Amino acid sequence: MNDFIIAILRSGTPLIYVTMAGMIAQRAGVWHLGLEGIMIIGACATILGIATTGSFPLAMLIACIACLIASALLWFVIEELKANPIIAGLGLTGLGIGGTALAVQSIFGTQAAVTAPFGVPRLGPAFGPYGILSIFVLAMPFVVVGLWVLLCRTRFGLRLSASGEHPFAARSVGVSPKRMRLVALLAGGILCAVGGAELAAGSLQIFAQNMTAGRGFMAFAAVVFGGGHPIGSALAALFFSIIGALGIRAQLVFGDAVPHDLLLALPYLATVFGVWLSGRLRGGAKTANGFAELRDY
Amino acid sequence: MTRLVSVLRAAVFILIALVLCGIIFEFAGYSAPSMFQSIAEGAFLRPGALLQSLRWALPLFITAVGVAVSFRCGYFNIGAQGQFYVGAISATFVATWLNGAPAIILVPLSFLAGIAGGALWALWPGLLRLRSGTDEVITTLMGNFIAGLLLVYVTTGPLKDPSGSGQQSSSRPLAAGYRISDSLGISPVIIGIALVVGVGMWLLVNRTAFGVLASLAGRNPTMVRWQGAKVWQLGLSSFLISGGLAGLSGVIEVFGPNGRLVGGFLPTHGFTAILIALVANLSVVGIGIVSLFFGGLASAALFLPIMAGLPAAAIDIVNAAIALFITAKSGFVDRLLRFGTRPS
Repeated sequence: MNDFIIAILRSGTPLIYVTMAGMIAQRAGVWHLGLEGIMIIGACATILGIATTGSFPLAMLIACIACLIASALLWFVIEELKANPIIAGLGLTGLGIGGTALAVQSIFGTQAAVTAPFGVPRLGPAFGPYGILSIFVLAMPFVVVGLWVLLCRTRFGLRLSASGEHPFAARSVGVSPKRMRLVALLAGGILCAVGGAELAAGSLQIFAQNMTAGRGFMAFAAVVFGGGHPIGSALAALFFSIIGALGIRAQLVFGDAVPHDLLLALPYLATVFGVWLSGRLRGGAKTANGFAELRDY
Repeated sequence: MTRLVSVLRAAVFILIALVLCGIIFEFAGYSAPSMFQSIAEGAFLRPGALLQSLRWALPLFITAVGVAVSFRCGYFNIGAQGQFYVGAISATFVATWLNGAPAIILVPLSFLAGIAGGALWALWPGLLRLRSGTDEVITTLMGNFIAGLLLVYVTTGPLKDPSGSGQQSSSRPLAAGYRISDSLGISPVIIGIALVVGVGMWLLVNRTAFGVLASLAGRNPTMVRWQGAKVWQLGLSSFLISGGLAGLSGVIEVFGPNGRLVGGFLPTHGFTAILIALVANLSVVGIGIVSLFFGGLASAALFLPIMAGLPAAAIDIVNAAIALFITAKSGFVDRLLRFGTRPS
C-alpha cells in the first residue's frame, strides 16, 4: 500500500503543480495550453542546471528564470499581439519540446537521456518509507491550500478572478486585466518550473526528450474538470494520477493479459470523461470560446 | 486589398517567428545563418529538393484542407493527428484482412476504411461537442494521445510484422501490387487524389449552400439558425469531413511512400496541417501554396541530420515559432502595412 501511495504522489505532484499554474491562468482568463512547453523547459533547465552548477538552489533559479521568460513571451503574444491563446499555447509547447531537445543535443552531442548526479532534496529517514519522496511533495498540499486562500479569500484573488470572468467589471474598479494576466502567467511559470523540476529530478534525476508526454495537457484538462477551483482542480489532477497508477498496478497483476499501451491511455480517457461530466453538470452547450474571431484576423 | 494586407501580415509575423528561431538557435549554440541556409538548401535549393517537398506537401495539403473546413465552421478540431493515425490503422486492418484479393478490390476498400476511420475519430468529439457542449479542444487533443497509443499497440500487437527488427515496430509490408507509389511518394495517383480533394473542397466551400452556411455558422450561429439551417448538422458534417480527409492522408502514407504501417510515424503531421490552414487564412487555394512551404520544411527535417549534421528538432522549432505568432493581429503591424500599401 505504501508503494502505491508513493507511486501516486510521485506521478501526481508534478501534475498538481502544473495544474495549479493552469488554474491561476484560467481564473485570470487565459486558456493555458502552453503548460506542457513551460513544464518541459523547467524540467530540462533543472537537470542541466544541476549538471553544470552542482547546486540545487542555483538550478531551481535557472529553471524559474527560463520558465518566467517563456511565460512572459506567451503573455506578450496573447495579450499584446492578440493572438489566439490556443494556437499560441500549442506553439509555445512546440518551442519548449523542440528547444529542449535542441539544447540537450548541442550541449551533450547526443539525443539520449541526460542524467544529473543528484536531484531535489529528499525528505529523509524521519518520514519512514516516505523519506524517498522530495520536499516538493511535502510542500504541495500547502501550496494548494495557500493558493485557495489567496485566490478565494483575498482581495487580490477576487480581482484576479474578476479579470477572467468579467474584465469590464475589473476595469471599472481600476484593475488592469492585462496586468493581472501577466501576474497569473508569471506565477504559473514558477509553478511549472517546480512541477518540471519534480518530474525530472524528484525521483530519477533524468531528462529525456519529450519526457512530459502530455502531462501539461492533462493538467489543463484537470483545470477544466475541477471547474477552475484550486482544490477541485488539484483533486482532479490527483484523480488522473490515481487512474494512471492503477493502470500500472493492473499491468503488474495481470501481466500481458492487459495490453500495456491501452492502459497508458486510461488517464486520457478519464480526462475526456471528466470534461464531458463537468460540462454536463454545468449545463451544457454554452461554452463560448470566441473561435469565430479567428476568421477575422 | 484586404487580402493583400492579410498576406503581408502573415509574412511579417512569419519573419518575427524566424527571428525568434534565430535567437533560440544562437542560444543553443548553433550559428543561426548557417542553420537557415541548411534549411533552405534542404527544402528548396538542393537538386531534387522540390520533388521531395511536393511529396511531403501533398498529404499535408489534404489534412490541412480538412482542418480548414472545421475551423471555418467554428469548431476547433485540433485532432487531425489522431484522425490521421486512426485512418491509417483502419486501412491497414482492411488490407491485412483482405490480403491476396485483387488490388482493384483491396485498395478502394482500404481507402474507404481509412476515410471512415478518420471520420469516426472526429465523430465522437463532434457528438460530445454538439450534444453536451464538451469542449472539442480537449477531446480532440486527448484523442490524439489515445490514437498514438493505439498505433503503438497495433504495430506491436495485432498487426505486428513478426520478421521485423526490434528497432521500429511496424505492420507487414504491403505487396508491391497494392502500393500507389514507390518510396519516393510521388505518383500520378497521389497527385490525382490531392487534385480531386482540392477542387472538390474548393467547390464545397465556395460554391455550395453547405459551404456558405457552414462558414457563416462559424461567425454567427444564431443567424444561421434563423435562416432555417440546422447548426448541428453543419457542425457534425464539418467534423466528419475534416476527420475523413485526415484519415485519407493516413492511408496515402501507408499505401504510398511507407508501404506499411509504422509505429509512431510522422508525429507532427496534424500540428503542421493546422498551422498550414491558419497561415493560409483557411482558404483552399492558399493552403495549396502554403503546404508547399511547409512540405519543404518537412523535407528539410530529413536533410538536416544526414547532410548538414544538424538536429531535426530545428524544424519543429521553426514550425512552433510560426504557430506562436501566426494568429496575432497587432495594431502596430496593421498600421505599418496600411501605411505601406495605402499611402494617404
